[in-house]
Amino acid sequence: MTTTDPAVSVRGVGRRLGGVQALQDVSFDLPAGAVCGLLGRNGAGKTTLMAVVAGHDRPDAGEVAVHGERPFENPAAAGLVSMVRDDQRYPDDFHLAHLLRVGPLFHAGWDAQLAEEVVDVFRIPAKPQLRKLSRGQSSAVGILVGLASRAPVTVLDEPTLGLDAPSRQAFADLLVRDLAARPRTVLVATHLADELEGLLDRVLVLDGGRLVRDAALEDLQGSASVVLGPVEAVERATADVGVLASRRVGGFLERVVEEPGGSARAAEDPALQVRRAGLQELVAALGAGPGPAATPRPDRLTEVSR
Amino acid sequence: MLDDGSPLFQQIARQVSDGVLVGTFPEGTQVPSTTELAALHRINPATVGKGLALLVAEGVLHKRRGLGMFVSEGARARLVERRRGELTATYVRPLVAEARSLGLGADDVVALVAQELRDDAPTTSEGAR
Amino acid sequence: MSAVLPSSSPRALGPARRSGASPSPVLAVLRLQAVKRFETWATPLVVLLLGLVFTVLLVLVVWRATGEGPGSPTLAEVGRGTQVAVPWLVGYLVYNGVQSVGTTFPLALALGTARRAFAVGTLLHHARVAAWVAVAVLAVRGVEVVTGGWWAGLHLLGGAALGGGDPVRLVVTVLLASLVAMSVGGAFAAVWLRGGARAAGAAGAALGLLVGAAALVLVAAAPDLAGAFRVWWLAVAAVVVTAAGAAVQVVALRGASVR
Repeated sequence: MTTTDPAVSVRGVGRRLGGVQALQDVSFDLPAGAVCGLLGRNGAGKTTLMAVVAGHDRPDAGEVAVHGERPFENPAAAGLVSMVRDDQRYPDDFHLAHLLRVGPLFHAGWDAQLAEEVVDVFRIPAKPQLRKLSRGQSSAVGILVGLASRAPVTVLDEPTLGLDAPSRQAFADLLVRDLAARPRTVLVATHLADELEGLLDRVLVLDGGRLVRDAALEDLQGSASVVLGPVEAVERATADVGVLASRRVGGFLERVVEEPGGSARAAEDPALQVRRAGLQELVAALGAGPGPAATPRPDRLTEVSR
Repeated sequence: MLDDGSPLFQQIARQVSDGVLVGTFPEGTQVPSTTELAALHRINPATVGKGLALLVAEGVLHKRRGLGMFVSEGARARLVERRRGELTATYVRPLVAEARSLGLGADDVVALVAQELRDDAPTTSEGAR
Repeated sequence: MSAVLPSSSPRALGPARRSGASPSPVLAVLRLQAVKRFETWATPLVVLLLGLVFTVLLVLVVWRATGEGPGSPTLAEVGRGTQVAVPWLVGYLVYNGVQSVGTTFPLALALGTARRAFAVGTLLHHARVAAWVAVAVLAVRGVEVVTGGWWAGLHLLGGAALGGGDPVRLVVTVLLASLVAMSVGGAFAAVWLRGGARAAGAAGAALGLLVGAAALVLVAAAPDLAGAFRVWWLAVAAVVVTAAGAAVQVVALRGASVR
């Protein structure tokens, strides 16, 4: 084993849930220490993929390995991954204090001090049952387990869902500080791509159960531009380049085009505005299909860049 | 946060080298640690590390084992050299393009620049006093 | 069972890596199951005592109605015959069994455990709760005997169904009833986790049909059976049901996923 072994390796993974192909032929590697954003629309398969990586669910097809161990029903992999779902269930009468007590039993590296700090920062109340917490407080509990577990592979499912703005910043602060102190591999699903952008170094984009992008963040950041202008001018300038998404308002057309090359002709036309596409725009363009999992779109860019 | 659309690690490199250029980080002194920069900008420490590594490769910074990153001798001169090369592409060309769309001629542009240089001169000397 | 020991080869990312697994997964599950200390150990006693108080209240009502005072055969008969305490306790243990699997399993997965360790730890947990409850009931019965039936000749835990005053039969009865309760509760929850509400409903329906069919057969053979009936048949049946419940839990949890 060497340091180049991936922390997470997913090969041809498929999963059918309730008659829908939730995941289809998904393959990727996460290098150890990567902080990877898992992006895509509702129903794109994000949670299913994370459940498969965390060993909460078993794929119908393909192989998953976490630090070389199969995560599903493998005692050797038990403490390697930590994942609290965004709809995590807790037993009746189960309170914060109980969680703080059992955490260390399952993760030898559990950091009780960090756990207490998370409680303070997010003001997680001690009194109510965990299953009765508000959306944001519930997210904070997920963050607590994810960070305090110090699991080598930490899966965060919508960690900032329902959090107020100061808490979202506090989450970023805590994660950055913890990554600097104890590097680990993080897989984080989010709808707020722009907000977490700085924390990521890789991005996976799912659409309809298929992986439509697997790229280093900096490659993705430069991989598309937005061209805006009069319909005809935009059509002329982007006629023979890859177009990821189009939006027409009145006489104006906005197109997200693939780089390199997509905006070259447009840049020369003073009538057109050209700017780099943000991560959120890019993800929206990649996953702009009308429906969830049921309709994979072969006409859309389904190629996975490596 | 930082933002000009370029990859974050490049922005970090740019920001630190700006600090070297304007004298925030004189040659021979230590620059902020990866952890500090990551926490400051709320970005991944690995990304910061990549940006600093870029500056090491360019000879702007060097690493002292166990201590951190320091500004190399001659770093400023190297940066001036490099930035001068980028001046045309980054500033002059857009300036000319904008001037053209406003219908300004070469003389007008030169006059504008000369004006700006004159206006700026006293401020600079005041600041130096 | 295939190799379960983590390989000891050193790997990338140094100390962070092996900080993962808990030293004893089954022990961790046992402690998780009992982390709510009061609910685990005290609430069954509270339920038991509430049942006893209820019986006493009933005795008081009868006293008022008939005018027969403490020590009278009528009141003693009411106390012995109104056996709600243990059934209430068993009912609570069914709920406990459901909880110990239905909502604790998803939490255990989130914390990181293998299904086998969870199933084994949970079955052990059921066994120890049943043992605790049996011992607790025996202790209360001890107090009852020592105080001469709560100073009033009331032998609330001395009914025929609870061994008619025989402490060994009392313990065995409560132990087996508790095991059956938690095991069946856990089995239903495991089936629900494995196959959803529909599967749990189907399992319930199947169980109902099975019990119904058995009852029909038994009723047909009633005269013969009644003569040959021995109490230990019930004990054997309880052990069989407990074992079946445990088996269902292990099998259902093996493939259960949270998605």
